[in-house]
Amino acid sequence: MGNYTSSILKTSRIRPDGIEKVTGKLSYLTDLQIQGMLYGKVLRSQYPHAKILNISVEKAEQLPGVKAVITSKDVPGLNGFGLIFPDQPVFCDSVVRYVGDAIAAVAAITPEIAEKALHLIEVDYEPLPVIDDPEKALDPSSIPLHPNGNLLHQASYVNGNVHESFPHCDVVVEETYQLPRQMHAYMETEGGLFIPEEDGLSVYAGTQHGYKDRFQLSRILDLPETEIRVVSSPMGGSFGGKDELNIQPYGALLALKTGCPVKIHQSRRESVCAGIKKHPMKITVKTGATKEGKLLAHQVRILADTGAYATLGPAVLDFAVEHAVGPYVIPNVETHGFCLFTNNGVAGEFRGFGGNQITFALEGQIDRLADQLGICPLEMRKRNLRKPTDCGPVGQEIAPTNGDELVLKEIAHSPLLKTEKAHKQDSWKKVGTGVALTMHGGGLGFGRLDPAGGKIALNQDGKIQIMFGFEEVGQGLLAVIETLTTKAIGCSTADLEIVIGDTDKAPHSGSSTASRGTSMVWHSLERLKGPFIEKLVTQASAISDYPKEQLVLGENGVWLCENSEEKLVVTYKQLAEEKTVSVETQFDFPTTPNAIPGGHFLYSFAAVAVKVEVNLVTGHVKVIDIDQAVAAGPVVNPIGYLGQIEGGTIMALGYTLLEEAQMEEGRYVTNNFDSYLIPGIQDIPASMHVRAIEDLWEGDSYGPRGVGEIGTIALAPAIARAIYEATGHWVTKLPVSRDEILQSRERI
Amino acid sequence: MMKKQTIQQEHVFEQQLINISLCVNGQEQTIEVEATKRLVDILREDLQLTGTKISCEIGRCGACSVMMDKKLVNACLIRAYQVNGKEIMTIEALSQNGLHPIQNAFLEEGGFQCGYCTPGMVMAVKALLDEHPAPDEEQILQALSGNLCRCTGYSGIIRSILKMK
Ligand code: FES
Ligand code: FES
Repeated sequence: MGNYTSSILKTSRIRPDGIEKVTGKLSYLTDLQIQGMLYGKVLRSQYPHAKILNISVEKAEQLPGVKAVITSKDVPGLNGFGLIFPDQPVFCDSVVRYVGDAIAAVAAITPEIAEKALHLIEVDYEPLPVIDDPEKALDPSSIPLHPNGNLLHQASYVNGNVHESFPHCDVVVEETYQLPRQMHAYMETEGGLFIPEEDGLSVYAGTQHGYKDRFQLSRILDLPETEIRVVSSPMGGSFGGKDELNIQPYGALLALKTGCPVKIHQSRRESVCAGIKKHPMKITVKTGATKEGKLLAHQVRILADTGAYATLGPAVLDFAVEHAVGPYVIPNVETHGFCLFTNNGVAGEFRGFGGNQITFALEGQIDRLADQLGICPLEMRKRNLRKPTDCGPVGQEIAPTNGDELVLKEIAHSPLLKTEKAHKQDSWKKVGTGVALTMHGGGLGFGRLDPAGGKIALNQDGKIQIMFGFEEVGQGLLAVIETLTTKAIGCSTADLEIVIGDTDKAPHSGSSTASRGTSMVWHSLERLKGPFIEKLVTQASAISDYPKEQLVLGENGVWLCENSEEKLVVTYKQLAEEKTVSVETQFDFPTTPNAIPGGHFLYSFAAVAVKVEVNLVTGHVKVIDIDQAVAAGPVVNPIGYLGQIEGGTIMALGYTLLEEAQMEEGRYVTNNFDSYLIPGIQDIPASMHVRAIEDLWEGDSYGPRGVGEIGTIALAPAIARAIYEATGHWVTKLPVSRDEILQSRERI
Repeated sequence: MMKKQTIQQEHVFEQQLINISLCVNGQEQTIEVEATKRLVDILREDLQLTGTKISCEIGRCGACSVMMDKKLVNACLIRAYQVNGKEIMTIEALSQNGLHPIQNAFLEEGGFQCGYCTPGMVMAVKALLDEHPAPDEEQILQALSGNLCRCTGYSGIIRSILKMK
């Protein structure tokens, strides 16, 4: 066991937040406590869909120890939030649309009293019919959940003519794929501390975009943004799940109402009930190819269950539509996507952002066609791969790249694909292998506000401060910032002070999402380093009389580099005593120039090979070996990179084989880790190998891409292919059901 | 049809306060708490030892793992009346004299990312190594089967343990 290797695992520097984490000394925002703080709790709906006839809070207010009970009447500003449209009420007062809808919130001197007060709030409901399926939501006779009906968003891409080309195909495959509602399952549930200040409010609560929270809170609280400070880092995991507001509005309102600090920390049950999930999707695909294995036509219909509110639903659907053909050239494409409101929880941002779902369908089609045509699955992919300077999957201009070709070539050499599988097996255990490929866009894409930026300064204490509005969710951003900054500037880690995740101290950098953090830190430093170094050496030159051309930044200060002589000329501290210096940059994440909503410009790639063992007696699928190749530009921090790929892969293993946040009639059936199973240590394969391909296409000036998502995409289709090889059964629905495997055996 | 709904109320008992003495990380503590208060809350709230985390509260994730009389337990499942006279060791004790070898191994091999499962995970590894200084595969899987990590995919954690062998 324990064969977890990588082509990149050289020694990494210990990550800056490492010691605090392994010793338990790091204070997460849900660990914060302060004298005199109150405990907040939120009353959520009893029904997935109902009218609210009356809310009475008097009994709760009278409970000794209760300091405030608030409802929609207590929202001074906009009673709504949402990253795209603010359609989710902070507090519902006339209708509830899912079981996580908030109706009231309480602050009390102990959590027990707050809990008891929730029980004393009386709400009269009139239950309404529950829309628990997007097909139902599409039905014109269904009750509309929002003023504009149940269709939140529709997106399409059409090129050529699929209908005319299907008759010319030698083989056509049609299939419907069903993808589950996955839960982020970050170990730290949502929470934080809210402190009223003389001039406003301080919010200490995890999020993936502190400035966006500040903006949304300012609308709700009717406070100027400048009076709100959001400290949003560190976090015990997020994976997209904490990007939207969660408990922040309640903590903030309660703190302002009571004038006391308020702490909220959701229990796991509350987190499951109120938190967003990954979009369940039903994807129907018809794909045709010639007998030579050339793809001719691809028709796709995506039905996404976005739940009760919009959050990032439209963007996730756009992403899925964009990635419908992945890295392949298909002359005739027709993709239609529909994102529908239902009473099933809320679906939103999730690592992979629609890529997991659509890639499962796409790669499934390629494998089925290859099988019918008798072509090797790797060869089938190769024959249809885009060329490095081809446009992107929706016909848009993209940065030229051959990452797809490189990862495919690399994975073709995977030893696990070469193992003999036929004999030496128990008759009830079958082994199979599979391969899959993915192409994944970074950044938010065309037409979305996607500003980035950073700031570097020499402060009064002689420290070089590098500042970003990003958050450390666990992804290792601090290590990335440290590595890139010391490399760009030349100073040592001891000279550096990293400031992130604080709207009072760090500049706007955009969100810590969409695999954009690493990339944006690199881009910022490309812009910051020149002017910053220039200012410091000019100042050092004035003090020391050495020509500035001979001066460089180094450990502890500015050094003279003349011929072979190196000496410290002036320390940062001495420089700072003369004058502090700061340089700031603001720019946008690069997008395609073509006006395609959400269209990406920078992509990363991964190819996965997997070996599974299917137990025909129990239906259990065990993953025994995973090999993958990733092309995402230069590796910044080897341990961080590897960790993102390995961790993402195991999250994908859970998605494929274990995880589903099940709902029945709009209510969660899986409420905690006893019924919602994420992979444990026994579920992981005995061997995993990651190869990083660092080369970029000639002339690519966009530096390292993020790898937060790329490891989560291609595993599911690769496992499905491996199961087919082992059993002759094509899986179309995730997570793979043991019963289905057993039944498929009976049919054979 | 109108439904008048208040949440089903469990009987809320007036909590009985008890005095308990326990030894936490080598320090004797006497505190007055509700008899059924959970050890994880005693540690985090009364003793400000927030290194021990809380995540599922039902004994399924191991984020709250601590040692009680040298045995690994989930602090979310232990009540105040059960800890009277016991010896508790939390993550905070491990680095009292510099980093513990387990902690060093986690740092070098990527045994953590967000770090939220890490204190519990490190305690579980300690319990494993106390019992089996050179654990085999089965022993590692057994010992860590109660500790969930969502970030690392466990491979970095296993690398860390193998490194110490
Ligand atoms: S919080 Fe105790 S086991 Fe999960
Ligand atoms: S490091 Fe994040 S849960 Fe383990």
